[in-house]
Amino acid sequence: MKQELAPLTEGVYYILLSLYEPRHGYGMIQFTEEMTNGRVKLGAGTIYGAIKTLLDRGWIKAFEEDGRKKEYIITEQGKEVIEYEILRLRELFDNGIRITGGSEK
Amino acid sequence: MNEKCSRFRFFLDYEKEEKWVNEMAKEGWHLTDFNIGYYKFEKGAPGQYIYRNEMVSSLGAKGQVKDYLEFLQQSGVELVKTRGMWAYFRKATEDGPFELYSDTSSKLAYMKRIFLWFFFFFLLNFYFTISNIGEESVFQVILGSLNLLAAILLFIPLVKVGKKIGQLKKNLDLFND
Repeated sequence: MKQELAPLTEGVYYILLSLYEPRHGYGMIQFTEEMTNGRVKLGAGTIYGAIKTLLDRGWIKAFEEDGRKKEYIITEQGKEVIEYEILRLRELFDNGIRITGGSEK
Repeated sequence: MNEKCSRFRFFLDYEKEEKWVNEMAKEGWHLTDFNIGYYKFEKGAPGQYIYRNEMVSSLGAKGQVKDYLEFLQQSGVELVKTRGMWAYFRKATEDGPFELYSDTSSKLAYMKRIFLWFFFFFLLNFYFTISNIGEESVFQVILGSLNLLAAILLFIPLVKVGKKIGQLKKNLDLFND
C-alpha cells in the first residue's frame, strides 16, 4: 500500500462516514457520538474547521439549505479517501492482531 | 428577576479567567456579560452550565465570525456574549463534557491564531514604546510608558501560549489526533 494520504484524524474519519447521508454540523456530532458510544465527542469548533478544510479539498460538498442550517454530503473523491483509509486501518488491525494475538478484554 | 452581581477582576491568562468563570458557575453565578476586568453574573442553579471562552475575531473575514457563531449556536452551543475579539459560550452541564476543540490538531490551529494576535499587539506596543519614549513631550513619554506596560503584559500570555504550542506539537509526534 502506497502512503498516498496521511492517516485521517478520528474526527475527519467520522465526519466523512456521517456524510454518506446529508447532515448538518450538529447531526455529524450526534452521529459520531452514537457510533462511538460517547467516546468521541467532536467539539463544535473542531468540526467547523474540519468542514471548511474538507470543502476546500472537495471531499464533501454542500447538499441543500435546510432552513438556516447548511447540510453537507460526501463526494466521490471523499468516498475514495474513506475507502483507502479503511484499507490502511485493516492493515494496522491485521498486523496488530497477528503480532499480539489480540486482546482478551 | 433573578439576583445579579458584578465582579471586577483582571486576568492576563484567558484560561485562568475561564476557570474562574466556571468556578462561579459551580456556585450558581452564571456569567451574562463581560468586559476587560469586569464581569456580570446572574444567580441560577449551582453547576447548571459549563463555560468556554474563545478568541473569535481572528478567523479572517468579517462575515466568517458571524458564520462561525451561527454554526455553534446550531450545534447546541449557547452564545453568552461577544466583546471585541473574545466570546463566551456555555452549555448545560447535563449535556456532558463541553469543549470547543476536541483534538490536538484543531487545538493547535487555535493556539497559533491566538499567538499571532498576541504577537501582533505586542509588536504594535513595542513599536509605539520606542517611537514615544525619548520624545520631549511629556504626553508622549506617558503614552510610551503605557505602551511599554502593555507590551510587558502581552509578553506573559505570549510566552504561555508559545509553550502550549510546543507541548501540543510534541503530542502530535506520538498521536495523530
